[in-house]
Amino acid sequence: MPEVNLNDPVDVLIIGAGASGAAIAWSLADTRMRIVCLEQGDWIKPSEYPTNGADWEIQQHGPFNIDPNKRGRDTDYPINNSESPISVVNFNGVGGGTILYAAHFPRLHPSDFKVKSLDGVADDWPISYDTLDPYFTQNDRMMGVSGLAGDPMYPPKQPPLPPIPMGRVGERLASGYNKLGWHWWPSDSAIISRPYQGRDKCLNLGPCMSGCSQGGKSSTDITYWPEAIRAGVELRTRCRVREITLGKNGLADGVIYYDEDGQECHQKAEVVVMACNGVGTPRILLNSKSSQFPDGLANNSGMLGKNLMFHPVASSQGVFEENLGSHKGPQGCCILSKEFYETDLSRGFVRGYNMQITRGTGPFTTALHGYATGRIPWGADHHKAFQKHFDHVASIGILCEDLPELHNTVTLDPERVDSDGIPAAKINYTLSENSRKMLKHGIERAEEVLYAAGASEVASTDLVQMAGWHLLGTARMGTDPDTSVVNPWGRSHDVKNLFIVDGSIFVTGGGLNPTSTIQALALYIADTMKKNLANLFD
Amino acid sequence: MNDTIIATDFPLTDEQRTKLRHLLNALIPASQDGHMTSAGELDLIAYLKANAVDFLPVLLTILDDLDEEFLADTPEQHHQGALALSHDNPALFQELIYQVYALYYQNPVVLEGIGAAAGPPFPRGNTVESGDLSLLDPVLAIGKRYRPVS
Repeated sequence: MPEVNLNDPVDVLIIGAGASGAAIAWSLADTRMRIVCLEQGDWIKPSEYPTNGADWEIQQHGPFNIDPNKRGRDTDYPINNSESPISVVNFNGVGGGTILYAAHFPRLHPSDFKVKSLDGVADDWPISYDTLDPYFTQNDRMMGVSGLAGDPMYPPKQPPLPPIPMGRVGERLASGYNKLGWHWWPSDSAIISRPYQGRDKCLNLGPCMSGCSQGGKSSTDITYWPEAIRAGVELRTRCRVREITLGKNGLADGVIYYDEDGQECHQKAEVVVMACNGVGTPRILLNSKSSQFPDGLANNSGMLGKNLMFHPVASSQGVFEENLGSHKGPQGCCILSKEFYETDLSRGFVRGYNMQITRGTGPFTTALHGYATGRIPWGADHHKAFQKHFDHVASIGILCEDLPELHNTVTLDPERVDSDGIPAAKINYTLSENSRKMLKHGIERAEEVLYAAGASEVASTDLVQMAGWHLLGTARMGTDPDTSVVNPWGRSHDVKNLFIVDGSIFVTGGGLNPTSTIQALALYIADTMKKNLANLFD
Repeated sequence: MNDTIIATDFPLTDEQRTKLRHLLNALIPASQDGHMTSAGELDLIAYLKANAVDFLPVLLTILDDLDEEFLADTPEQHHQGALALSHDNPALFQELIYQVYALYYQNPVVLEGIGAAAGPPFPRGNTVESGDLSLLDPVLAIGKRYRPVS
């Protein structure tokens, strides 16, 4: 297909309109530079989300499935998970992963930035919690975060909105934590508990992870993007980037992408910003080969695509005699516990995990999951078992810190391609012994607290396969160009006008949901770029 | 039992229709107290025509593969027949369960029976209790717990 040069050069070209792309677009907009964002997916209309229909539980398994390989949208790219016990889940569209995320919104802890110094493993970040603190606050305001000040596990912080309702699920589990003398706290949630910035408060629909019809959940299509577009940023959808192109001066000079008609286009740019998550970003950069970068753009260190970190997740579910009304309310946001978040070597592993209390599911999902796990049989005992579980369960997700390991990688799949012929991503991942021990410890503690809270039965899942939400570490930041891909403010060591702002640049992952930290990082990098505009490429 | 409920315009023979009703009743029978209806009372064929038409020929194969005795057997024998199907062809049985549960747990009468609201969650929404934040008193009593970094 002949190359078509339809696009005038722009100052900043952002690839990806998800959590980090939206944040940096908004922040850079006040420079009045010409900023364009290319997004391979579509805008999603709120009326398209499953909870608009009576068949909302069935629709969760269709076009809003968290698994891109099952969603059946031509805006997705395939991911080969065959060499990984954890599968990648995501969404491609304006808002990216925030369209389907649970909106559980904790920040990394101060200690998460100093893992090497404190525990002798992995590496320290080249920046600290204090560096990001003002950007956490700015991001909480922009997204609309609900929570409660005073959590003793954090330095002081003040969420802009009061916490979302705990419900009977939260109260019941809180009583269990109190009996054991363990920490718990209402979750910081990117869900608005009061009317905010023209959006009405959350109606407690329940299944946040199939998209929010109402707009109570803070996805970036309804938070950052309207503001960024009003400020002059151009957002083009259905534009799928194939590769970053390199100029004769060794700087990136733009991208080649396919528009919605499959037409190959070349967009020139002074600055290129990657915001495609920890799988999408290395995929494009690895596909951007040249004589100068035969192993992928900005990959002189050889670190691109390596050190992939998920958060391995286990789950324990307790059954309670009391009706907890558990299918109502934001499913993934309730309360959390950081009791086992920090290192205690007597437990047999280093680092720790977050316990995320989640609510129940709707009737169909309850029955189907019950069938799959053998807890709700078909046949004569079906109704009794269903009644026992539906609205009577509370769950704890054990979200473990995953340490960086070189052999956990994102590479280009040698066979599979997307609908434009771009190689798919391939995941090679092995669960570490440290993570296994942590998962086991987490399950034992979760079962303990569920019984303490009054559960009559508890059942656990050792490792949740479809839980690869958090895609981190594949283009890590650092001060040493031999061991990292970007510098402490997201600029490629090798290509001075190429920036990365998504979860790829995490040095370590902490043991909690990373979106808050990803966005704070994007805002911090934007601010640093603005402060250094005069000598950005020096 | 109302024989006409599943008699849609999809061309099921009388035998197939009877087998289907027995099979569905084996998967989700009526509750003993009569509070919950059986799956056999619901129109799976109409549901599949609207939502999963590809499964219809598969379903016909399942029905045709059931022995003739299945027509006259007792509920316990229907259960054994369904059990045999689950053992002989687990993938097919799993898909059958998916479709039957999808039919059953979207039915307004069933949802009313289990105490769930029928229809789409939006714009109806749900009420969730705020919760008692005084439960945090013991946590606050312990004081600052985050790990110092210097």
